Parts: sequence; C-alpha cells; structure tokens
Amino acid sequence: MSDDTATIERDLEAIETALGSGSATHADPASRALQELALTLAADAPAPRPELAEQLGRRVEEGFQRPAKPNRRAPFADLREAFAPLAGVAATILVIVGLVVVLGGGSGSDDSADSAGGGGGGGSEAASGKALRSPAPADQSRDPFSEQSAPRSGSGFAPGQPNRRIERTFSMELGVPVKEMARVADQVNAVAYRHGGFVLSSSVDSGEGGGSGDFSLRIPVDQLRPALRDLAELAPVKNQSQTGRDVTRQHVTAKDRLEAARAERRSLLRRLEAATTDAEAEAIRRRLDIVGGEINGLRSQLRDLRLRTSYAVVDVTLTQAKKDRGSLGSFGDAFDDAGKLLAGFAGVTIRVLALALPLGLIGLLGWLASRSLRRRRRESVLA
Amino acid sequence: MERIPVATADTETFAALYERTFPRVYAYVASLLRDRAAAEDVTAQTFERAYRKQASYRPRRGSREAWLFGIARNAALDELRRRKRRARLETEPVDDAAPAADEAVELALQRETVRAALGALDGRERDLLALKFSGGLSNAEIARVLGVSETAAGTRLHRTLTKLRKACDE
Repeated sequence: MSDDTATIERDLEAIETALGSGSATHADPASRALQELALTLAADAPAPRPELAEQLGRRVEEGFQRPAKPNRRAPFADLREAFAPLAGVAATILVIVGLVVVLGGGSGSDDSADSAGGGGGGGSEAASGKALRSPAPADQSRDPFSEQSAPRSGSGFAPGQPNRRIERTFSMELGVPVKEMARVADQVNAVAYRHGGFVLSSSVDSGEGGGSGDFSLRIPVDQLRPALRDLAELAPVKNQSQTGRDVTRQHVTAKDRLEAARAERRSLLRRLEAATTDAEAEAIRRRLDIVGGEINGLRSQLRDLRLRTSYAVVDVTLTQAKKDRGSLGSFGDAFDDAGKLLAGFAGVTIRVLALALPLGLIGLLGWLASRSLRRRRRESVLA
Repeated sequence: MERIPVATADTETFAALYERTFPRVYAYVASLLRDRAAAEDVTAQTFERAYRKQASYRPRRGSREAWLFGIARNAALDELRRRKRRARLETEPVDDAAPAADEAVELALQRETVRAALGALDGRERDLLALKFSGGLSNAEIARVLGVSETAAGTRLHRTLTKLRKACDE
C-alpha cells in the first residue's frame, strides 16, 4: 500500500468518524482539518421548509395521485402501451422465425423431393402415404396416370392419335407389423377385387422369423387411382415407383396390319371363287392359310395390347415395419429417433442463435452507447 | 444537519423511505441547484418518479438510497440543463438559511469561507460534495450513483476535500 493510498484511507476514515460523532478530534492536524471541513459542509446543508415536508408527505401517503385531467388519450392507449413490448418481442420472433424458415428451407424441400421420388427414409414414408391418400388437384402434375406424365416411346410415338395406349406399372412397398401381415395381405386382395381387378400372383410369409408378402395385381386403369389410395391406407408406404410406356404405335401398327390382312383375305377369297385351274386354287388356298395365321396372330397381339393398356400392373410388396424388428431393433430405433430429434432441435437452435446473437449484440451495444451518451449529455452541465 | 443511519431493509415501505431520506434528498438537490423553489419542485418530482418506478429497483444493484439519489441527481441535472444554470453552479452558494443569532461568530466566518471556497470547485466536485455531505451517502452509495468504483469515489472525495481546504486557506 503506497503512502498516498494510506493517507487517503486514513483521512476518509477520519471524515466518517467526524460525521458520525459530530466532532473533529483526529490527532493529525491535516486529518483534523479535513474533519472540520466535513463537519462544516454537513452543517451547511440546506434544510427544507416544514410546509414542504408536510405537503410532500401527504402526497406520498396518497400515492401521488395525479390531478384529474381531460382524457385526451385514445381509448385502449393503456392497453396498447402494456402490450407494446410484447408486440415488439413477437414481431422480433416472427422475423427471426421467418428468416430461419427462408434460410433453412433448402433441407425441407430436399426431404419432400426424396419422398416424391420414393425414398426409403422414415420421414418420407408418411409423406408418401399422405400424398397417395389425398391427391390434391395441384398434385396432378405428379400423377403418373395423367396424360401429362405419359412417357414418350423411344421407338416412335404415332403422332396424331387421339387415344393413346399406355402400359402402366406401379410398385409399392408397405411397412407392415408381423402381426398384421396376414390381415393386410387379405386386404390387398380385397382391394384388387373391389376395384374390378384381379390378383395375378401372390405370396405371403407371416412366420415368426419375419414377415413379407408379394402381390402382382392387375387393376383397371379407370380404377387405378382409388385402388392405389386404398392400398396406401392399409399401411405406411415405405417406397413407391411408377413407370409408363406408350404402346400406341404398336397398337396402330397391329391394327393396320390386321386390316390389311383382312383385306387380303377378302381379295384371296374373291380370287379363289374366280380360279379356273386346280393349281391356281391350291396356291390361293395356301396363301389364305398364311394370311389367316397372320390375322390370328395380329388379333392375339391386339388383344394382348388392349389387356396391357386396360389393366395396370400393380406390384405390392409387404415388408416388416421398421419399429417392429424385435426388442433390440426398437431400442436402436429409439436411439436413432432421439438422435434425429436432437439434431433437428440443434439445427434450429443454431440457426436462431446465428441470427439472434448478432442482433442481440448490436442491440446491447446500441443500448450501452445510448445510455453512456445520455449520461454524458446530462452530466455535461457539471463540466 | 441530523444524520440518519443509511442502513435500510429492501422491504421498507415507500413512506418509510420518504421519511428517512426526504431532508437529505432536498439538501442534495438544493446544494446542486442553488435555488430553493427549483429544489422543492425537483425534490417532489424525485419522490414522485421514485414512487412510480418502485418496480424498477433491483436490490443487487445497490441500496434504495443510492437508487433514489440516482433519480434525484438525474432530475436535478435535467433541471439544470433545462434552465441553463451552468453559470449558477459556478457562483457562490446562496445562503440557504440565515445564521442563527446565537451562532458563534467563528463558526459563521468558517461557513462563509467554505461557501466562498466552493466557488473554486467545478460542477462535478460540487456534486460529489453534495452527495456526501448534503445527501449523507456512503462512499459505496456515491460510487453507485456516479457509476464508478468505490475506491475511485473515495479518492475523488479526498482530492476534492483537499482542494477545498487549500482554497479555504488561500
């Protein structure tokens, strides 16, 4: 401790002693002089008028009631004042949340893109199922069975044909608990029959070691959308895909060839009637046999094409639901889910903090600066 | 002037706080403003503001007295700025009360000397002395009001008193 500091402390203590006792008695003359000065200053403090003390005391007792003034404030002004800070906080939060949504929107759209593409993630399951269950009008562009989504045939597409012939194939994977496997399998069959279709093949395994099922359904094209919606309601959709192939050209070609073959047969029959020699008649009969075979082949081809374009192929696969895979799996799944949840929260928190911290820091600095400025301005009168 | 103990409970009523501090708040404001009428107005204003802002008081930020004198100081400085009394601060203090007839001549002379010497101090120094000797605040409370450390407040006080003593001697 330096001498100056010791002197200051001694003098300050002496001043406090003098103020407490009301007398200057310090042994050191310098300290005693300061004691006397302090006592003089304290004794010279202005005293208030007793009337002021009485008057102000009354006001304190009355709680400083303000004299009634004509209320020129707008109605609900007090309410507005009370809610103004809340409104400010709410607006700030809205702005931050809005920015987070805008800045963090990329990952969300990625998720939806996955589900549209039939991704196998847990998050996309519900989205896929939902999309199937409630196809909105705006979703038409993604409808695999609409005219817009009809695929182009790579080997010619028969332009100008009003009625396109499209082969449609749809595959769907449903996550089903083992206990539900048999019931869902029955319902898959029922859905096919209910919509006028049939089951081409099916296999179901609902043993204790695991469960699975495969179905190949044929559903009339005009019933495809409701049938798919019903199938999607049986269990969460884990995966889905669809393909389409334009076979209009094959259909038109086969039809034209059939017409031509029929015309040739009619012509051959007329020539046979007019044949004059046995050899000529025999040659025409041989040709008629060939043309007849062609006609039968083309009819079969057309029938097959008609069948393939009137009925869509719907392959349904039943797999064991993820959360149903034994106790250890469920525990791991729980960990996975918890991890994902925490990561999601952390992501949102980081985004919010990334905005809120700089804004808060700027606000704090501004507040400190304005406070300091106000203090300096106020104290400038003392300079 | 009678000095009242500064120790106070945070739970005391506003009326009790008023009773305890009114004379000292007035003395401080009057020392700063050097105008009896203005001092009365500002003192009343101080207590009214304090009454309405009771909820803003935080015990961890200092005693209620420090908080109250902070309000008084701001009100007084605002009044000074409004009325541009800077010049008044530098003038000789107004005799607030005439010396009593039986007051010793020596004491009266001493007061006059000190009042004259106060003119040698600047506004900040006079403010500091007013907080200490008119307001009766402790050094810790003065530090809280001025926004400085307690050590700095003590050092400033000692320096100001030493300066005043020298001015009295000259």
